[in-house]
Amino acid sequence: MTFLDWLPTIMIFLPVLGSLLLLVVPKTFRDEVAGLIAALTLGAGLAIWRGGGSELFRWDWIPPLGITYSVQLSGVSLALALVTAFMSFIAILYAARRIPNPGPMLSLILAMETGLIGIFAAQDLLLFYVFFEDALIPALLMLAMYGKAGRMKALVKFAAYTLFGSLLMLVSIIGVRYLGGSPTFAMVDLKANLVEGPAQTWLYLGFLAAMAVKLPLWPLHAWLPDFHEQNHDSGVPDVMGTLYKVGGYGLFTFGIPLFPDASLELRPILMGLAAFTALYAAWIAFRQTDWKRLLAYAGLSHMGFVALGVFSLNETAVIGAMYLLAFQNLYTGALFLSVGMVQERIGSLETRVGGVMTQAGALSGLTMALWFASIAVPGLAGFIGEFSILLGAYQVSPWLTFIAGITTIAAAAYALTAFQTTFWQARPLGAVGVRDLVHTEWLVLGLPLAVLILFGVYSAPALNLMQPAVRAVLSALGGN
Amino acid sequence: MLTPPDVALTPMLPILIVLAGAISSTLLGFWVQRRTLTFINIGALLLSGASLTLLWNRGLSAFGGSLNADNAALLLSFVILVGTLMTLLVTLDTAWRARVSFPEFDAMLMYAVTGCLLIAFSGDLIVMLIGLEIMSLSSYVLATLQGSRRAEESGLKYFLLGAAGSAVLIYGLAFVYGATGSLNYAAIAERVGSVQGLLPQNVGILVGGALLVLCGFAFKVALAPFHQWTPDVYGGAPTSVSLFLSTVVKVAAFAGMLRVFSGALADAPGWHSVMQVLIAATLIVGNLAALRQLNFKRMLAYSAVAHTGFLAMALLGTPQAGGAALSYYLLVYTLMTAAALAVVAALQRSEAGFEISDLRGLYFRHPGYAVCLAICLASLAGLPPFAGFFGKYLVFQAAFQNGYVWLSVLAALTSVAALVYYLRPAMLMFMPDRTPAREYAHGQRPATTLAVGLGVAGVTVLGLLPNLWYAWGASPVIWNLLAGR
Repeated sequence: MTFLDWLPTIMIFLPVLGSLLLLVVPKTFRDEVAGLIAALTLGAGLAIWRGGGSELFRWDWIPPLGITYSVQLSGVSLALALVTAFMSFIAILYAARRIPNPGPMLSLILAMETGLIGIFAAQDLLLFYVFFEDALIPALLMLAMYGKAGRMKALVKFAAYTLFGSLLMLVSIIGVRYLGGSPTFAMVDLKANLVEGPAQTWLYLGFLAAMAVKLPLWPLHAWLPDFHEQNHDSGVPDVMGTLYKVGGYGLFTFGIPLFPDASLELRPILMGLAAFTALYAAWIAFRQTDWKRLLAYAGLSHMGFVALGVFSLNETAVIGAMYLLAFQNLYTGALFLSVGMVQERIGSLETRVGGVMTQAGALSGLTMALWFASIAVPGLAGFIGEFSILLGAYQVSPWLTFIAGITTIAAAAYALTAFQTTFWQARPLGAVGVRDLVHTEWLVLGLPLAVLILFGVYSAPALNLMQPAVRAVLSALGGN
Repeated sequence: MLTPPDVALTPMLPILIVLAGAISSTLLGFWVQRRTLTFINIGALLLSGASLTLLWNRGLSAFGGSLNADNAALLLSFVILVGTLMTLLVTLDTAWRARVSFPEFDAMLMYAVTGCLLIAFSGDLIVMLIGLEIMSLSSYVLATLQGSRRAEESGLKYFLLGAAGSAVLIYGLAFVYGATGSLNYAAIAERVGSVQGLLPQNVGILVGGALLVLCGFAFKVALAPFHQWTPDVYGGAPTSVSLFLSTVVKVAAFAGMLRVFSGALADAPGWHSVMQVLIAATLIVGNLAALRQLNFKRMLAYSAVAHTGFLAMALLGTPQAGGAALSYYLLVYTLMTAAALAVVAALQRSEAGFEISDLRGLYFRHPGYAVCLAICLASLAGLPPFAGFFGKYLVFQAAFQNGYVWLSVLAALTSVAALVYYLRPAMLMFMPDRTPAREYAHGQRPATTLAVGLGVAGVTVLGLLPNLWYAWGASPVIWNLLAGR
C-alpha cells in the first residue's frame, strides 16, 4: 500500500475535514485556512496526475451488505476531479473577498467539494449514490442561507427533481445487484454479473432518471434556471452548481458498462432528446434578460451536447463529451463569477446595462474571452469538446447532429447579443462609475482563462488522460 | 403427575429490572421527588441494558418457551431501552412545564416499558397480548395525564380506537388458535409450515385470523387506514409523551409484528397481499398528508405514519433480511425521531409545538439545536451520510429481494414528497430572519441537550459505520429463531 493509493482518499476527505476545521478557526484566519485546504486538495490531485492516476483502492465498508469503499482517480475521473478542485479553489478565492461574513459559505464550498470529488472517485455503485446525495446537502444549504426572495420555491423544486431521480436510481442500484447476482456493489463485481434482457432496460431507465435530472435533459431541466437565478449574486454557489451537473459522467462511467444493451437500444431516442435539449435551451437563452438565467440556459445547452456525445456511444464523441464536461465547468463557472462581479459594480443582473467596457476594460475583456470559450471559438478548450462531439455523433446519426450543430450558431447569437448590450453600447447618463478588476479578481477570471487557452491549444495531456478510460468503457459494448 | 413449571428468572432479568423501577416509582412516589425517581429509573434502564449483554448469544428461555431471551428479543429490547432513556432525559426538563410532573408519570412510563419488553421477549401469543395490553393501558394514561382539553380528547380517542384495535387483535388470536390448536409461536409455525397439513376449513380460519391480527397490529403501529388517531394523539399529548408513543410504543408493536408475521405466521397464506395494500396506502397517505401540515409537531406525527410504511416493508422481506433490516431501522428511527421531538420539546412555547414558519432563522438563535434538528430531518428524509439512508436502503432491499419491486418503486416515489416536507423546515432554519424569537425563553437544558446529542451522534455514527449496529443483527440465524424453530 503506497502513498499513491491513499491519495484519492485524502483528496476526497481533506475538504470536508477543512470545512469542519473552519468552524473552530478564529475569524481572522478563516479565509486563509479555507484557501490552503482547497490548494492542498488541488495539489493532491496534481500529485495523482503526476503519478499517472491511482490504482483501485478497495476496503470492505459494510461487509454484510456487500458495500465496499472502492475509489480510483484515473483517466476521466481524475480530469473531472482536478477541474472540481481547481474551480472550488477559485470559488473560495472569490467568496472570501466578496461575501460578507463568508464563514458558512466557505465551509459549504469545501463540504460540497468532498461530495463532488467522491462522485468522480467512487467505483462502487452505492458509494457513488452516497456521494451523489452528499453533494446535494451543501448545495441546498447555500441556496437556503444565501439565496434571494424566491429561494424556497426554487429549493423545493431543485430538491424534488433531484431526489425523485435519485430514489429511482437507488431502486435500480438494488436491482442491478440482485437481479445480476453480484456479491457486492463494487463495479468490478457488477460488471462481471450483468443483468440481461428486458430487466436491463427497466433498470437503465431508473438510472437514467437520476442522471437526466442532473444533466439536465429535457423535460427534466425545469429546476435549473430557478436554481441559478435564486442563488447568491456573487455567483459562487452557481460555480458549485455547475460542478454538480455530473449526469454525463454518471452515464459514462456507470450507465454504459452496466447497461450496454439498453444503451444501444435506447440510443436513437436519447440522442434525439439530447439534440433537442441543446437547441431548445439555446433558443430560450436568446430571450433571457437576466444574466444568470442566460448562463443557466447556456449551460443546459452545453449539457445537451455532452449528452449527445455520451449517448452516441462513439469513441470520438464520448471523448469530446468528457472534454466538454470538464472544461464547461471552467468557463461557465468563471462566467458566473464574472456576472457576480458585474453585479457587484452595477447592482443589477440585467443584460441591457450598456457601456461597462468603457470603464472596466479588463473585466470586459476577460469576460469576452470566456464567452468565446463558451461558444466554441477555436483555440479555446470548448471548441475541441464540441467539435469532437459533432464529429463522432455525425457518424452515428447525421440528422440529429445537424440539428445539434445549429446550436453553435444560436450560441454565438445569444452570447454576443447579451455581451453587446451589457458591455458595449453607450453608458446610460448618470450611471455609477464602474471599477475595473482589483487584486484577486484578476486571478479569479484569469486562471480559468489561462487553463482554457492552454488546453485549447495543447489538448494532448487531457486527451491522453481520457482516451484509454473511454476505450475501456466502450469496450463493454462489444465492438460497436 | 404434576410437573413443576419451568420458571427461570435469568432470561427475564431485563424485564424484571424495569419492573422493579416501575414498582419503586409507584411506592417511593409518596416520599420522594419525581426528579429523583427519574434518576432511579434511568439507572434501572442502564442496568437493564447491561443485563442484555449478559444474555447475548445464550438463547435462554423460560416458561416452556413462552418467553424467549433470544438474540432477536435482545436487539429489539435494546432499541426500546434507548427510546425510553431519551424520553426520560427529555422529561427531566420538560415534565414540569408540561404539567405532568408527578410520580405517576414515571411509574406509568416504566410499566409501559415493561409491557414493551414482554412483547419483544414473547414466545407465544398470550405473553405477547399481555405485554401489548400492559403497554397500551399505560399509554392511554400517559396520553391523558396532562390536565388539558387537548390531552383529554387525544387520550380518549387513543383509548377508544386502541381498545377497538385490541378487540380485533384478540379475536384474530382466537382464530389463529382455532386453526392451529396452539398459541405458541413455534408450534403455530410448525403447523402453518405446510398448509396442506391443515384441514381445508382450517385454512380459511387461519387466513381470517391472520388478517384480523394484522388489522389489530395495524391499529397499534398506525398503518393506513387505521392511522387516523395518530396525528391527533401525537399532536395533542405532551411532546415528551408523543416522543414515547411514536418511538418506544411503535418499536414494541413492530417487535410483536415481527414475532407473529415473520415468525409464527410467516408461511400462512393471504396476509402478504393485504399487507402490501396497507403499506402502499400508508406510504401515500402518510407522505401526502404530512406535506400539507403547518404545525411542525403534527408534521412529525404524519411523518411517523409514513415511516410506519417503510418499517412494515421490512416484514415483507424474508425473515432473515427483513428482521435484520427492521432491527436496524427501528434503532435509527428511534434515535432520529426522539431527537427531533426533543428539540421541539425544548424550544416550544406550548405543548402544541410550533408552526413550521416559526422555525425560520432558528440557526441564528439556537445554532446547536438548529444543526441537530437539520441532521435529524436529513436522516428522516433518508439522505446519506446519515443513518436514515441505510435504514431506508435496507428495507427497500429486503422488499425488492423478495419480489416486491412495485412496492419499492412506490416507496421511492412517495419518498420524494417526504423529502419536500422534511427539507422545507430544515432549510427555513438557515434562512435569515429579523423577527423576535418565537421559542420558549429558557429552552436549553442539559438533559434534553444530552438526549438530542445522543440521537444526533447515533444517527451520524451509524450512518458512517452502519456495521457497528448492523453486524449484530446481520446474522440470519437470529431471525430463523423468531418463532423458536
